[in-house]
Amino acid sequence: MDTLKVRDAKDVEEVVRAAIANEQPLEIIGHGSKRGIGHAMATNAVLDVSALNAITAYEPNELIVTLQAGAPLADVLSLIDAKNQQFAFEPMNTAPLLGTPVSATIGGMIAAGLAGPRRIKAGGARDHLLGAHAVSGFGDSFKTGGKVVKNVTGYDLCKLLAGSWGTLSVMTEVTLKVMPKPEAERTLSLRGLDDAAANKAMTAALGSPFDVSGAAHLPKSAFRTRIEGLGDIAGQGEALTVLRLEGITASAAHRAGSLRELLAPFGTATLVEDTVSAALWTTIRDVLPFAAAGVLGPWPVWRIVCPPASGAALGTLLARETGGELIYDWGGGLIWAALPPTPDAHAPAVRERVNAAGGHATLIRAAEDIRRAIDVFHPQAPGLAALSERVRASFDPTTILNRGRLTRGAAA
Amino acid sequence: MAIMMPASDQAVLARRAEIVAALRAIVPGEGVIDSAAEMRAYESDGLTAYRQPPMVVVLPDTTEQVSLVLKYCAGQGIKVVPRGSGTSLSGGALPLEDGVLLGLGKFKRIREIDFDNRAVVTEPGVTNLAISQAVAHAGFYYAPDPSSQIACSIGGNVAENSGGVHCLKYGMTTNNVLGCEIVLMSGEILRIGGKSAENSGYDLMGIITGSEGLLGVITEITVRILQKPETARALMVGFAQVEAAGECVARIIGAGIIPGGMEMMDKPAIHAAEAFVHAGYPLDVEALLIIELDGPKIEVDELITRVETIANACGSTTCQISTSEAERNLFWAGRKAAFPAVGRISPDYLCMDGTIPRGALPKALARIRELSEKYQLGCANVFHAGDGNLHPLILYDANKPGEIERAEAFGADILRACVEFGGVLTGEHGVGIEKRDLMPEMFSEIDLNQQQRLKCAFDAQGLLNPGKVFPTLHRCAELGRMHVHAGKLAFPDIPRF
Repeated sequence: MDTLKVRDAKDVEEVVRAAIANEQPLEIIGHGSKRGIGHAMATNAVLDVSALNAITAYEPNELIVTLQAGAPLADVLSLIDAKNQQFAFEPMNTAPLLGTPVSATIGGMIAAGLAGPRRIKAGGARDHLLGAHAVSGFGDSFKTGGKVVKNVTGYDLCKLLAGSWGTLSVMTEVTLKVMPKPEAERTLSLRGLDDAAANKAMTAALGSPFDVSGAAHLPKSAFRTRIEGLGDIAGQGEALTVLRLEGITASAAHRAGSLRELLAPFGTATLVEDTVSAALWTTIRDVLPFAAAGVLGPWPVWRIVCPPASGAALGTLLARETGGELIYDWGGGLIWAALPPTPDAHAPAVRERVNAAGGHATLIRAAEDIRRAIDVFHPQAPGLAALSERVRASFDPTTILNRGRLTRGAAA
Repeated sequence: MAIMMPASDQAVLARRAEIVAALRAIVPGEGVIDSAAEMRAYESDGLTAYRQPPMVVVLPDTTEQVSLVLKYCAGQGIKVVPRGSGTSLSGGALPLEDGVLLGLGKFKRIREIDFDNRAVVTEPGVTNLAISQAVAHAGFYYAPDPSSQIACSIGGNVAENSGGVHCLKYGMTTNNVLGCEIVLMSGEILRIGGKSAENSGYDLMGIITGSEGLLGVITEITVRILQKPETARALMVGFAQVEAAGECVARIIGAGIIPGGMEMMDKPAIHAAEAFVHAGYPLDVEALLIIELDGPKIEVDELITRVETIANACGSTTCQISTSEAERNLFWAGRKAAFPAVGRISPDYLCMDGTIPRGALPKALARIRELSEKYQLGCANVFHAGDGNLHPLILYDANKPGEIERAEAFGADILRACVEFGGVLTGEHGVGIEKRDLMPEMFSEIDLNQQQRLKCAFDAQGLLNPGKVFPTLHRCAELGRMHVHAGKLAFPDIPRF
């Protein structure tokens, strides 16, 4: 396999143009941490952007950071953390779930668009990408967006790039919005709720004026063992419903008090603060109970997005039918489902139930033979699928970029 | 008209009677308007300097009718201009002489309010404010609040990706919509997204939002709603220099405080507003900031104190803090009435809409002052200071020969300066026809070609709202052509591993 390690945007253009001329599809990688997500690609040439790793500009007062796509995520997070800022959408660290080394790039973070618990309040990667320079499948460098939050000049191509899994263009430089880190965080926990009651409790909390920034539910589980960093919060296998409040200290504490009263019908909530709370939300963000190294490591994992109030009904049904394990986030709107291993990862049941609930499901973790047998990404209705394909082709008419990653069979 | 629109198709115009009859067969009764007198109401939008009666107006009231109208027009090669409430400030809904004006005004029903999923499903003709009003009894609201919210439609908000004074904290339209039903120019009806936080596949909702009516006609929208903050209080802070006000804005953000709204007015705007609404604005300051904090009372009270300290440290000359809703509303009254207030001191004005990095505010204001001298036209400035969105109001008199041209040249220079300072041509009003010919200031031909290719994926014939956004129109076949660069080179001179 040829790996082409590009040094600048010009290199990317040259590689893509040569690839078009040679009809040689390219796999686009940063650190390659998420290569296991999606279908096997029809290529033996890799375009590696990890050397495009400069931090171009960080302007804390403008709330923006401009980075080359290969900039290591960990470095960028430390940089902005030093100014007490963060990516408010809490990008997921997929390494524990996928069992890969902890290493990822900004480009991969955007292309995967996997947002964490705060998505319910702050939006996803797509809401924080302000501008991008990229090379299309025409081999042309183009830019979209800008370096300011408020911008409606031309089509917002940033929205398409976020979550496109490298199938539209090769991003070379991006500008992201950063936000101040909250001074304090408080998490209320309710114990012993079944999924339906937990969904109701989360709905009540998210429908309150208390500005909840995380709402998750870990159902009762025989598999959940002690999770590092959580002490007594979790690990006993009993159901745990958690709600996060962030902001200036007095406010977070005050709202925690008010929310606890609101949630009284669901039980007496206990409170954890700052460091312990942060560890808990990292556990949920990175789906640590399903970690590759853990007892559920061999189980395939689905990421299901659905209308939040339908989460419990959908999840309960799936768990009953498959014997699977679940974690709910986004107030029920995101379900992580680890299902007992089968050759098809229970795809027919998952897709049928998820469609009925008005959601969509992505097979985030599964062995390659399973990914060969079923669709990883959720099949769309024919009209929508056709439009999506026309949109894709408008960036990359010969499917030179990440050919086959999103669509099964395209790799043949 | 200074802006060139696509040449009218004489063959289409010659068949006008036949086209009107065909449209009447789809949309019966008063839904098709073809009399010159009645069509006059549609000849312009909020950018009133440009007027053009359409060939015919169609006001469907079902998605099926929209689909049939578009399918018919696509089959006959007839251009279509969609229109919501017609409040666009960039000419996005300016009709075409040979085009059908497709008004969505009859789509004014809220279809579903779903508090559990914190979503409202609505037809596009519902006004922005009506959505908030419909959910207010349960303490909810729809966050984006463009100043025309009383009149502007949610469909138009999606088309323009409308903003408002609360964008910095709560985002623009694109951050607050979940899904839609859209009819493509072919007549095909598609559903994108729904009540889930994210859609499957590419984020098509994200690309439709802000597409200025060039990609499809939206017939239903799902928006997310939020709980109203428990309370809101405002500070009104005056500064002897614009630079100090700009520094204050930067330090507030630097301190990790994201106000619900942070507005700035310069001296001419302050004077015009005060003369109009008597809000008690200080008249001896060069810049006035209105800073609103919202959230739980305990948080707002604390942040008010922190902001006051920062303002003092930046050398504020006056600082008033609202102690009641009435007082807070009074602070805002002048700002909210700034446009009509300026309308009282000048026969006409042009409202610009560039965005710059916050830090460039003083530089931008200095440039605007220079340009004001150069063009010999007054300019009052109101800004969404929190997000760097400028609204210079250029004062002119349309009855004086040459003034409109001078005002437009002045405006174009301001927008060029915005780009020069690292900003963009439009923050919330859209490109439309107004900024169309300035697009090359910000984008290369390659950038614009990529955007037009995307347009081709939705509307291969280029019949939907042509003449808007793009300065030069290309045929889709031409844009899609792949230029293969010398087949012989095989990854030259790139390190391999």
